[in-house]
Amino acid sequence: MLVQNILNGISLGSVYALIAVGFALIFNVLKFSNFSQGGVMTVTAYAGYVASRYLSDRLDSLVLFAAVLAAAAVSGAVIAAAVERLAFRRLRRTKSEPVYYFISSITMGILLENLITIYASSNFYSYPRFFATSAVPLFGVNVAVTDMMMFALSIAALLALLFILHRTKIGLGIRAACFDVNTVQLMGMNPDFLVTTALMISGALGGVSGVFLGMNYTLYPQLGQMVVKGFVASVLGGLGSIHGAVIGAVLLGILEIFFISWVGAGWAPVFVFIVMLAFLLVRPRGIAGIIVQEKA
Amino acid sequence: MKNGTRKWLFCAVLVALLAGFVGAASAKEILIGNMQDISGPTSVWGNAVTRGAEIAVEKINAAGGVDGAMLKLITMDTKANVQEAIKGYNSLVSSGVVAVVGPPVSNIGLALGPIANKAGVPVVGSFIDPRVTVGEDGKPQAAMFLMQPSSVQYSEIMASYTIDVLGLKKIGVLYDQSNAFAVSLMKPYVEYIKAAGGEIVSEQVYTKGDKDFKTQLTKIKEAGADCLYFPNYIQEAVLVTNQRKQIGFDVPIIGGLDFAPPFASLVNDPEAANNIYLANNFSEKEPQLKEVWDVYKAKYGENPVNKVFLGYDKILLIQEAMKLAGGTSSEHVMKGMPVVANLEGTTGVLTISPDTHQPVGLSMVMYKIEKGEYVELGRYVPEKHRAPWSK
Amino acid sequence: MDYFVSTVIFTGIALIGVLGVYLITGLTGLFSLGQAAFMAIGGYVSAVLIRNYNVPVVPAVALAIVAAMLAALLVGLPTVRLRRDYISLVTLGFGEAIVALLNNSANITGGAMGISGIPQLTTLPVVLVSVVVCLALVILYKNSKYGRQCLALRSDELAAKSMGIDVYRLKLITFLFAGALTGYSGVLFGFYTTYLEPAAFNWIISAEWTIIVFVGGVNSLTGTVLATILLTWLPEFLRFASEWRVAIYCVIVLLIVNYRTAGIMGERELSPKTLRRLLGRTKEAPR
Repeated sequence: MLVQNILNGISLGSVYALIAVGFALIFNVLKFSNFSQGGVMTVTAYAGYVASRYLSDRLDSLVLFAAVLAAAAVSGAVIAAAVERLAFRRLRRTKSEPVYYFISSITMGILLENLITIYASSNFYSYPRFFATSAVPLFGVNVAVTDMMMFALSIAALLALLFILHRTKIGLGIRAACFDVNTVQLMGMNPDFLVTTALMISGALGGVSGVFLGMNYTLYPQLGQMVVKGFVASVLGGLGSIHGAVIGAVLLGILEIFFISWVGAGWAPVFVFIVMLAFLLVRPRGIAGIIVQEKA
Repeated sequence: MKNGTRKWLFCAVLVALLAGFVGAASAKEILIGNMQDISGPTSVWGNAVTRGAEIAVEKINAAGGVDGAMLKLITMDTKANVQEAIKGYNSLVSSGVVAVVGPPVSNIGLALGPIANKAGVPVVGSFIDPRVTVGEDGKPQAAMFLMQPSSVQYSEIMASYTIDVLGLKKIGVLYDQSNAFAVSLMKPYVEYIKAAGGEIVSEQVYTKGDKDFKTQLTKIKEAGADCLYFPNYIQEAVLVTNQRKQIGFDVPIIGGLDFAPPFASLVNDPEAANNIYLANNFSEKEPQLKEVWDVYKAKYGENPVNKVFLGYDKILLIQEAMKLAGGTSSEHVMKGMPVVANLEGTTGVLTISPDTHQPVGLSMVMYKIEKGEYVELGRYVPEKHRAPWSK
Repeated sequence: MDYFVSTVIFTGIALIGVLGVYLITGLTGLFSLGQAAFMAIGGYVSAVLIRNYNVPVVPAVALAIVAAMLAALLVGLPTVRLRRDYISLVTLGFGEAIVALLNNSANITGGAMGISGIPQLTTLPVVLVSVVVCLALVILYKNSKYGRQCLALRSDELAAKSMGIDVYRLKLITFLFAGALTGYSGVLFGFYTTYLEPAAFNWIISAEWTIIVFVGGVNSLTGTVLATILLTWLPEFLRFASEWRVAIYCVIVLLIVNYRTAGIMGERELSPKTLRRLLGRTKEAPR
């Protein structure tokens, strides 16, 4: 039971992690919690579905799966770039406070969710089966193949992100922009480009998580409201810290699963809240311990 | 003189024509409201009911309307939200509708009850919570009518089938504690099972937005249940079906309406979508469906879901009430609705009880899902529900 | 007519709730993503007291407001010491926890199936009087010592602290006041719809209220009032758009937030002074 709970918690947490990392990345650069990520995830989940529909005759299971993931990631990046252009670009020009980004992104999230409602609300949809939905025994308990796949791919996506951030020039630029967008400009880099790239990366991550969510939980327009879990995880992890977000997400997943098995799902939110509050009081800087300078 | 007569005739024809036009424009349209979730979380159902209602209206109009007047459907968005629904209902009343096609969502029905009773414009809906149609004093809510089995009737059908037909007595229950629909289907089921000598070996809950039910399923499995009752929405039904297979929990699922098509195609795994029992409003093979089915398919290019037929039948009921009361005003619909009897609808033969404003003795069609395929088991109604006079 | 009246009543109820958010977000610069929970507490406490325990209306309402304030104290005490970014997280968690609580105490609250048959006591005059009284209270608060301290806190917490303002106490007082207002709006809501369910009070409602405050103009109370009226009526005017209604609403909000960042009213207030200026010298009139 214990092992089963931990494994379930990790698999839940790995989905939260993809969302949380997107939050952390954007918080680093623009200093706000990007709730439009939820809408982006919804759209990409449907984009992945449309892709799977077109390609299912031509491609085989695993290749098809890779193609669908790629399509969703690309569409996530494109949508995130569009969101930047429509909801954030002007706010950056007028040097608005982060709260306005926050408002703009929440509205954008609701808008995207609603566009999907309009487009796809005549029926329920679900992804084709990419691989067997069976379980394999591991440490004496059953683990679903999809869960393991999800976990592995989440880790792969996170490693790719770390590679981009720490081993490429664009990554260097983004990390520089995290310190100060204006100084980056002085150094001869285009901040528009960097911000858009950061958003596109988080959009691509959102695309991957969108497909996972859609695969596991069927498609519906409110899918993106899972974004709240990513938000919680990223704040617990320490605002802006990518490692912290991952740890926070996995801890949140395990915590939720444990409370569900101890006190039942009905009471779990109450206990998660209490633990969260206690944690923030004891360690107000979050897991990672980075303290982002409060705007003075 | 000839000339004079001609002039006179001309004038008479003109007056007659004018009178005809004025008459046609003023009295020959009956407005019917339709309150559905168009832009919110349950818009799949909202759209389905709306389309079904539209097909019924078109059919009635093509056959000459009601008393020579054409029906016109005015759709209001509720966003599945009580506040929006109250505004929408009041807006419909002020635009002069004579009846309202209600949403398949109970919470809106509960909030509309007192307001509709006061306004006197009846709501015909598929809100299955019996409190919508019967007030706390045990008297029917004057303006609220139900046109499918209530949650009590529905869950008793399922419970009776579980214990009386399948002979399963150790039952595990899993339901969404934050969802009124699920809770209202759970309580009467559990009561019926206990009264009939069955045992609830494990009762597990989850809340809105939960996606991982393996923990709860494992507990039910360990409690030794020989079947799982799971009355919830289609998304969760898909998840539970897949996760049941993942943890190797191979007992029958007794499910709600939401296991009806397209459920099995959403699971997309014949190994998982197996050994599931459900009750639907109708059978796809039943002849009365064919007409609506064909019209829908020609119009929208996909197969209709069951809510389409509920929408269709709601309009039929309103039309029948008008016919029985001999008029087309809201008072007539109110008067006619409780006396509707033996109306051949697409979802069954509808008889509304004047005491509860709910349909009487409505049977459901039982299905079993075997390897992803729906196998029909025939109509079923528990002994308890049969009216004493019917056989 | 009923349609008009019900829309006015809902606008009034929303306005009282939004005033609470104005105090927290507009005046003090904190984010509460759990404000709807206080509305739930107000509505549920008054409904349960009247329905299950036959408490007379006035004490029931008073107790409901007290309960909302107690909840605000409970969540406020630890929260005010946290960083601003965390306050939105904690209030979000608090809101979810309250909804879970309501779902779990089914024997008192009816659980997910909700409470029906609450007496309909909210009428148009009641709402109008309530709005005027609440608005007056908020205006008084804004112009009091506390209001000015809140503004100082909002623009720079560190500086406010160094000026000797007890920021924790100030935040807590604002939280309590906002809780009371929002709780009262919940009372009115329950007594109008006659039906309450936990699902109606999720974080999206709280987020929508915050959006209203920003559309109005963060500092401006006049803007908040205007935006509430505008944004609760807008969906009604957009009914012709059918399923596009919410999308159009979002686009309009986006345009306002992006192209008129200060909100409709910016930091301006409608007061005798600005009125005189408006009428006298048109040049300085607000854009």
